[in-house]
Amino acid sequence: MQLAIEVKHLFFAYEKEYVLEDISATIKDREYIAIIGPNGGGKSTFVKLLLGLLTPTKGTITIYGTPPSKGRELIGYLPQNIHFNLDIPLQAREVILHGRLSAKKRTFDRDDLQMLEHIAQQLHITHLLNKKIGELSGGERQRVLLARALATKPKILILDEPTAAVDFKTQKEIYQLLQELDLTKIVVSHDVNILLQGVDRVFYINRKLYIHNNINLPITPQEGHFCEMEIFEKLGSENGCTH
Amino acid sequence: MVALIELLSNSLIAALLISIAIGIIGSIMLINRYNYLAASIAHGSYGGVGIALFFSLPLLLSTTLFALFLALLLAYLSYKEPKRLDILISVIWAMGMSIGIILSDLTPGYHSDLLAYLFGNILLVPNDDLYFMGIVDCIVLLFVWQNFHYLIAIAYDKEFAITRNLPVKMMHTLILVFIALTIVMSIRSFGLILVIALFSIPPFIAEKITKNAQSMMLAAAVIAFFLIVAGLFLAYFLNISATAAIILLASAIFLLFFKGLKSTTSP
Repeated sequence: MQLAIEVKHLFFAYEKEYVLEDISATIKDREYIAIIGPNGGGKSTFVKLLLGLLTPTKGTITIYGTPPSKGRELIGYLPQNIHFNLDIPLQAREVILHGRLSAKKRTFDRDDLQMLEHIAQQLHITHLLNKKIGELSGGERQRVLLARALATKPKILILDEPTAAVDFKTQKEIYQLLQELDLTKIVVSHDVNILLQGVDRVFYINRKLYIHNNINLPITPQEGHFCEMEIFEKLGSENGCTH
Repeated sequence: MVALIELLSNSLIAALLISIAIGIIGSIMLINRYNYLAASIAHGSYGGVGIALFFSLPLLLSTTLFALFLALLLAYLSYKEPKRLDILISVIWAMGMSIGIILSDLTPGYHSDLLAYLFGNILLVPNDDLYFMGIVDCIVLLFVWQNFHYLIAIAYDKEFAITRNLPVKMMHTLILVFIALTIVMSIRSFGLILVIALFSIPPFIAEKITKNAQSMMLAAAVIAFFLIVAGLFLAYFLNISATAAIILLASAIFLLFFKGLKSTTSP
């Protein structure tokens, strides 16, 4: 099967401190990967390296055989729902259409508008299209940004904390939609519930990478809740292989 | 009234041309949070005034070239040292002004142009400046028309724009270049100390009352033109400095608007 992503002996350091150490992994075409781990463990750094937003200190990454600076055009990216300029007068429809822009495409055509309508229907956000992006709730904004990621016609979808700051219903809808999409999917989350969403493999990142091929939750819920720390501890132990 | 309008004809044309620049570049400046960068270019461009006096060069040419140099320097530094940009902006701001002060001190004689560049006088805009403003406005309009969606996508989410391989660095550099050009073209009218207020207030009000960036730019231009013309008439009837009257009127409306905004958003 074709490889979507290949990472070889990846190291990354901020200043002189290593955040990621000797990470090697391959992700197959149409695989569904969950990346979990504690805050500050290097999950978002790993994603930024995949997207070419950061340059590895050592090691290589390829996206469908090309370096991230080129291959990232095949990636639909949903960033963490922070750092946005919410004052900017911008309608949700324009934000989604931004997904159609590229280095060679600076305007929108009729196909783009049709695609917008189609994605909006798929994500049940047609009623939001004419609203100002700053006036949307966290969950509504997240769905609009997911629509923007899908508008890029991606082969790989990377979602960074897609369910942070959204209500339970939206969370369920997002996971449901992900299961329906026939793409390579990578979901970064500190929420261990992602493990229950039918993912193929789990990447546990805490400076090093621990890959889990069999998704059996290492512990059962206590009174309906998972103990996050306990799961992280088990996922980072000898149960997983480090490459 | 006809005599008054004739007297103010150059000022009214300048008001219209500067309002177009404020509407477009002021809005782009605001949505990118570049106001501090722009203030640095405006104040730093005083170095160009000093160079013109010392070497007996045309003032507009010298100030324009120096402001462009500062814009390119800031663009370069913002890629190279993004985490130290605030301190670099302050240094460039002070350095440009210091060059201007020292070179004008070293130039013998009284320099009436200096005050005009510091505080501006929209009543004394020469025809040459109007041509310059017209050309700059045309270039700005063309630039924004060609790159409108790029500019807005980058302003909203720079990281996403990079992942789409949009020309983020080039747009950033060109925005700073156009900020420099539009500020320089407005300095003789509003002075380098006051010009930033006029580039910030109308876009701020427009941002809050519009739903998309096109209408924000249009509204900002209309508000700027209204403020400048109202300030001109206020200055004429009260016999006070036109530039100060315009900026004071703009500031008063900004404060009223801001107070209204606060009271509608507070719980």
